[in-house]
Amino acid sequence: MLGGYISDLEKGDVFKPVEYVLTPFMCSEYAHGTEETSEYFHSARNPAGRQIRPPTMIHVDKMRILEENCSKEKRVAGMAGPDARIHYEYHAKHHSPAYVGEKVIVTGHIVDKYVKRGREYLWYHLEVRTSDGRPVTTYDDLTVLRYKPTGVP
Amino acid sequence: MSDKPSFRVGEDLTGPVRCITPERIEWYDSAMLSAATNELRRVGSNIHTDAEYAKGQGFSAANADGMIMTNWCSAMLLRAFGIDYLERGELRTKYIKPTNVGVELHVKGRIKDATRQPNGNTVYTIDVWCEDEQGTKLVDGDAKVEVARG
Repeated sequence: MLGGYISDLEKGDVFKPVEYVLTPFMCSEYAHGTEETSEYFHSARNPAGRQIRPPTMIHVDKMRILEENCSKEKRVAGMAGPDARIHYEYHAKHHSPAYVGEKVIVTGHIVDKYVKRGREYLWYHLEVRTSDGRPVTTYDDLTVLRYKPTGVP
Repeated sequence: MSDKPSFRVGEDLTGPVRCITPERIEWYDSAMLSAATNELRRVGSNIHTDAEYAKGQGFSAANADGMIMTNWCSAMLLRAFGIDYLERGELRTKYIKPTNVGVELHVKGRIKDATRQPNGNTVYTIDVWCEDEQGTKLVDGDAKVEVARG
């Protein structure tokens, strides 16, 4: 169910897309936070001739689309849910770089939701394209909705 | 002569060796929020930054956001494969154990396969992982990079 907590999301839920224009600050600051010094992410003075978004910024897109679709739990805005979520698996495929100045559109849905060894898992699938339709990243993400197994207070 | 990267099956890739510190955890979480909002932000209390909150959620201590290790793996692949990794790469990481503050993290990779494609490109399959100073694996994963012919 959209519009609630992240733990309310269900298999088959389709996210309302988010779109934004990539800025130099977004790319550089994200790279800075991971101690990534490659010039690809900090300026256009690199072999590509344009500043590129770090491919791992798909994690930021996940936060953006959750913020838009789960109104009771907004981590970016500082609104926590009843339990901390645990990122378990990251899987990104790069189709092309996204460049500073481009508008990107993030779409996605919930592939599955299941319980394994007492813990509930949520499987997201996201896709990032530029506004002219060029594929940038496809991404699958597995998140544990609560670290403590079911029944543990 | 091509300046494209070339690796043998079994060859090791070496990534960063870094200690998980509260500062590094805050750098990532704050940068993630800043990138999401396009303004400088600072992270608040969560399982990564607040040991007491983390314990209340069932952890033994504050632990690193898995994306820190994913980014360090990604950095290793970028150093090895350059723009080919950004254009035609793939990375999967699984956070198989919590990575707590104080751990000395070693980022590693090994070429598992190299297959020449009909178009002349080479697809490399790489095992990727992070281990602590005792060699205990904390993050496991794999990657693929299609390197364009030079």
